[in-house]
Amino acid sequence: MTRSRREMPRRELLRLLAGGSGLLLVSCVPEAGADSRKGYDWSRHYWGYAVDTTRCIGCGACMRACRAENSVPHGVYRTWIERYRVDARGKVAVDAARPDGPSFGVVPGEVVKAFFVPKLCNHCERSVCTQVCPVGASYATKDGVVLVDEERCIGCGYCVQACPYGSRFIHPTLHVASKCTLCYHRITPGLQPACVLACPVEARLFGDLKDPKSRLTTILRQRRYRLLRPEMGTHPKCYYIGLDAEVV
Amino acid sequence: MPLKASYRHTYRLFIIIGVLAGAGLLARYLLVPSSFGQYGAYRGGAVEAARRGEPLHLGQQGCTECHEEKVKLHAKDAHHRVQCEVCHGPGRRHAAEGTAASIDKPRGKQVCLTCHQLLSARPGAFPQIEWREHFRFVGVKSDNTPCTRCHEPHEPLYMDRDVRTARLHPLVQRCRDCHAGRTRDPSTPQPAGHPAIFECSYCHSKITKDFAKRPHHKVRCSTCHLFFKESEFAGRIIRDADPRFCLLCHRAGDFRSDKAPPGIEWPAHRQEVAEGPEDAKKRCIDCHRDRIHIVPGKGDRP
Repeated sequence: MTRSRREMPRRELLRLLAGGSGLLLVSCVPEAGADSRKGYDWSRHYWGYAVDTTRCIGCGACMRACRAENSVPHGVYRTWIERYRVDARGKVAVDAARPDGPSFGVVPGEVVKAFFVPKLCNHCERSVCTQVCPVGASYATKDGVVLVDEERCIGCGYCVQACPYGSRFIHPTLHVASKCTLCYHRITPGLQPACVLACPVEARLFGDLKDPKSRLTTILRQRRYRLLRPEMGTHPKCYYIGLDAEVV
Repeated sequence: MPLKASYRHTYRLFIIIGVLAGAGLLARYLLVPSSFGQYGAYRGGAVEAARRGEPLHLGQQGCTECHEEKVKLHAKDAHHRVQCEVCHGPGRRHAAEGTAASIDKPRGKQVCLTCHQLLSARPGAFPQIEWREHFRFVGVKSDNTPCTRCHEPHEPLYMDRDVRTARLHPLVQRCRDCHAGRTRDPSTPQPAGHPAIFECSYCHSKITKDFAKRPHHKVRCSTCHLFFKESEFAGRIIRDADPRFCLLCHRAGDFRSDKAPPGIEWPAHRQEVAEGPEDAKKRCIDCHRDRIHIVPGKGDRP
């Protein structure tokens, strides 16, 4: 009798604790629901990107358009172009053009193979950058775009280090992480990202992976493509058509 | 009562746990933004903020309202895929404020060369030039001449009319004396003895007869002989001086259709066939003259 009376409060305590922690958990569970803004339902889209490296002429119109559209400051860049030159011995030389720098120049020396590779954020399905963020400032939207919350970011730079593609940087004046947003302010009203719009040879293609009739899904069905660093397990959504083995 | 006294420490424990939990909840309330967790482990308001920006690039449609003629002209040209804003910069401010907000009007040849500078990494089928050679080739004297002097920027494959008439082959120049525009003025009667059609064979029958037997016979004269006047060739423009001219059709590349003429790898081909140091400087026409036509007065060989 005495023992049972003594045990009661413990049970009560456990119940109380369980109830309390349950309440805490409930308050943390994210609300299920779609973006309510009119005209755009983000659960119906999943954005992807393709780069046709056999078409790119390395003019840099995409980089300059990105810079103007997103007010990217001097010295940093959200998209850039790399030039790969392979000589007869198989030696690979890589140089890059930045939006604020000069365009590609003539480099002396014989090459047997050369091509341009435009690069940008791969908006990975399993992005590393969002996983390492300690304050929940890096996140992936439901429509598959990896974004940075500039108000929340503390500029620790973990995500910059974690990104296997080098597509993030610390904004020199805001001191927060910054990156390609796939022009989220353009794609949600139905426009194309600035780089895709600017490309004069249609080497960049933006589209909806959820739409089986979109040009992107059609091209991915028909053409041979490669992903950048697939061994990282990030499942990038930037598909490179005609990419050569030299590119990492 | 002694029993109750033994519970006292557990009450204290409850109080401490309660205070800690309260402090934790308060800290969470103060530190976590209200929209955090709305869609996932991030601030829901950030998504709205990311969408809020105003698009600066309008695309071609944004220019049509005021510059319809230019856009129409541009749409037919080889440059039709090049958006206005690639050369002129983002147009939102200009579209909103009109002429008050000026738009870029790049003049120098550097704008054209960002795309058309000859680079090994550019796809072979894409038109590229080495501007010094091109200037020498078409007889432009000053290095500061902008590309737009000859190439209308919105329709660059068609040359500017003044330049075209100034450098024409003498015969075509004579056509232009009467036919100022592209079509003949019907009110002027045709002069007696006017040839039905100005064919090259009218004067160059010896060459055209020979040419008809050669493998290139389907190629039009004007493909290789632009009717420009270049100082070096005194009125006859011959483009065979540059091996790259032959490569315009014969370069091996990914974009070639089955009907395309045989493609070769250059300069690998020259190195393959070269037997001595002199051969390494040979042009296409030095070996392949028999595939084109004879040059009168010089026999079968140039």
